[in-house]
Amino acid sequence: MIEVLYKMIEMILFPGFAFIGVLSLLYEWIDRKFYARLQNRIGPLYAGPHGILQPLADFIKLLSKEDIIPEGADKFLFTLTPILFFAINLLLTLFLPICGTTGVISFTGDLIFFVALLTMISILVYTAGMASTNRFATIGAERAVLQLIGYEIPFMLSIVSVAISSRSLTIKNIVESQSSIWHILGPNFLAFIIFAITAQAELERIPFDIPEAEQEIVAGWLVEYSGKKLALFRLGKDVETLLLCGLGATLFLGGPLGPVVPGLEIVFYTLYFIVKSIIVLLVLTTLRALFARLRVDQMLVLSWKYLIPLSLISVLIVRVVF
Amino acid sequence: MSFYIPIGPQHPVHPEPLLMKFKVEGEQVIDVEINVSYTHRGIEKGFEYRDYMKGIFLAERICGICNAAHTLCYTQNIEQLLGKEIPPRAKYLRLIVEELSRIHSHLLWLGLAAHQIGFETLFMYVWRDREKVLDLLETITGNRVVTAYNTIGGVRRDITPEIEQKIRKSLDYLEERTKYFKKVVMEEPTVLVRTQNVGILKPREAIELFAVGPVLRASGIKHDIRADDPYIAHDEVPFNVVTYDTCDVYARILVRVDEILECINMVRYSLDHLPSGEYRIRMPVIVRPPPGESVSRVEAPRGELLHYVRSDGSDKPYRYKVRTPTLANIPSTARMLTSRGDYIVYIADIPIIFGSIDPCLCCTGRVMFIDIEKSKSWVWTYNELVRYSLKRFERHD
Amino acid sequence: MPRPGYMVSEIYKNLLKKRATILYPFKERELVHLPKGFRGRIIFNRDKCIGCQMCFRVCPAQAIKIIEDEKGKRPIFFMYRCIYCGSCAEYCPVKAIELSDIFENIAFNKKDLLVR
Repeated sequence: MIEVLYKMIEMILFPGFAFIGVLSLLYEWIDRKFYARLQNRIGPLYAGPHGILQPLADFIKLLSKEDIIPEGADKFLFTLTPILFFAINLLLTLFLPICGTTGVISFTGDLIFFVALLTMISILVYTAGMASTNRFATIGAERAVLQLIGYEIPFMLSIVSVAISSRSLTIKNIVESQSSIWHILGPNFLAFIIFAITAQAELERIPFDIPEAEQEIVAGWLVEYSGKKLALFRLGKDVETLLLCGLGATLFLGGPLGPVVPGLEIVFYTLYFIVKSIIVLLVLTTLRALFARLRVDQMLVLSWKYLIPLSLISVLIVRVVF
Repeated sequence: MSFYIPIGPQHPVHPEPLLMKFKVEGEQVIDVEINVSYTHRGIEKGFEYRDYMKGIFLAERICGICNAAHTLCYTQNIEQLLGKEIPPRAKYLRLIVEELSRIHSHLLWLGLAAHQIGFETLFMYVWRDREKVLDLLETITGNRVVTAYNTIGGVRRDITPEIEQKIRKSLDYLEERTKYFKKVVMEEPTVLVRTQNVGILKPREAIELFAVGPVLRASGIKHDIRADDPYIAHDEVPFNVVTYDTCDVYARILVRVDEILECINMVRYSLDHLPSGEYRIRMPVIVRPPPGESVSRVEAPRGELLHYVRSDGSDKPYRYKVRTPTLANIPSTARMLTSRGDYIVYIADIPIIFGSIDPCLCCTGRVMFIDIEKSKSWVWTYNELVRYSLKRFERHD
Repeated sequence: MPRPGYMVSEIYKNLLKKRATILYPFKERELVHLPKGFRGRIIFNRDKCIGCQMCFRVCPAQAIKIIEDEKGKRPIFFMYRCIYCGSCAEYCPVKAIELSDIFENIAFNKKDLLVR
């Protein structure tokens, strides 16, 4: 009984939903501020000290706007998609090992489950676009699926090469196998680069901003959403950012491991996890600031001609070394 | 299965309203229909109610960015009508402000082109460095954008030696930054892959469809009003006409960046060889030119700008006509935006192709006829317009 | 030879530089530098005016109205019609009109936008 209560507190408060919610807003602030500084600008400034409450202010503002469902849209799918998007992203954060070597949920082979649900999120993008029955949303949705065909295989192959070098498909074992040396410092460095590029494509940020290209198709698949549904989509996207940065930190940078003071392990593990995932976030933000947006056929050429051979080479290297 | 997408009148990529109706099939564009009648303001009629000195300020407000070119063309026109000659110092000063505003316009365009392919960082850097040119224009003329520098008979203010020092220092900074931006455009693979072989306009098509300005020069045709029909001091200040012959958006970017470097050299040369003397001849406040007509053309940053005036001896013009370069480039845009044969246009190419002609739609607005009772609207073709105007102005001698 | 990420050294250098934006209007107002000949709000010197009405004739926006007061004819300037061209200052024979460097010409009622 106490077990169940303890697990519920873990799931809802720390390191569960409330903690993830706060942390994802913090990550959005870090992303926007760093991106602005790279461009010699200021970024968020006035909401809270140094603008740290700006993502929260945006979220609350969106909650108070009018929620319109277009006449020709499929009402059921239109309303269901933002909720599913947000819920799946929240569920997946329970797998991340934040305050220990395992997450709140952990079972054998949970890495496969994780990646499968990530693909499901991209399919939800397609549903969101198609349920809106707007020309721009249709084009955005079909671009999202084309992009999915592009980045999915290198993403999985880079994760496979990490799994090969730690001989397991369970997140707990992957974290524990990095207690001597982190994966990024070994032959998995190429896998980290491919992971960073494909994570950028999964999160739909520049240079893979294609389904949501502001200059071409207004807002792409998000164009008809407003009010609470748009707030859920944006918060879901922030949680997805936290998810992929956390996954990168777990698989390549050793997760929450590091020198600890015995007794205060939870604090230290959480701190290490946050710092390492912020490092991955800064890498992704630099990628965002360096490039122009690609066209969808160029993105497919990049992925199938360059990324997939490179990821196959990375798997081969790891197989030979280990 | 094809459907129609409207880009505009309100769209994040357009700074000004226009409607482009595209017929798309998947991601490919098949056909386009352009409608530019949203910004018609009745300026040509407005000229007929203002006397010549006040008309300068109306001409300035035809377009915010090309305002130096419009006032230059207007004052040149009226001076030709009056038969007056301006002093040589005024010619050089007009050239300095014209070339500085060309640098401003091309830098603004480079930032916008980077924004349209999604390269936000380059956009921010270029617009940060554009502030230097705006500060220079503010020091010389008193305002950043609407400069009001030219007047009938010369220019309104002089350049002092300390302003000259500031200009030289800023030009050094701008030259270094422009060379850096040129290298970024030439070496960044995402920019190259978005702009090469996109928006092709062959030389024969460019001549047939009357393209002007950098669009024409990027198709390999060497035509620049400053070299072919020199005005103010352009016959004394040497420069190169920049052409590239790959005929795509990449060539247009390079033509404009190289033109910035040429303008910097021209301003330096004119500062070195500035003649002394007066900068303005005194004209009466109400100017009454003799009856007659006059045409003047100027190389605005976007292409060839043409003004025509007809006066009947009073203090207001009888008819004033403005032909702006963007209007001349619209048929070429329609040709560049349709796929034919091997040349495919994607939806993702639309903003950068349309942006590569440097559209300034506030100058372009043309009239569409709407008949409310019969509830139909139509636009006249070229031949119908010619027939109507010949019939209206038929002279019975 | 195209190098992906050509701007990387430049953007990291910009992390250490000072930001290009100034925090006008709440702080840092003194960083706004206006040059000497800036065309801002009109300042009118009543003592020099001789009532020639030249400014009224040259104004392109019809922003000047001539009224009588105890010393004779004088103009009032409507800043909400003014286009800041500087013609009135240029044509005034006694230089009674001057364009200052006040550029924040917004008000809550129209009376604040008259220069007498």
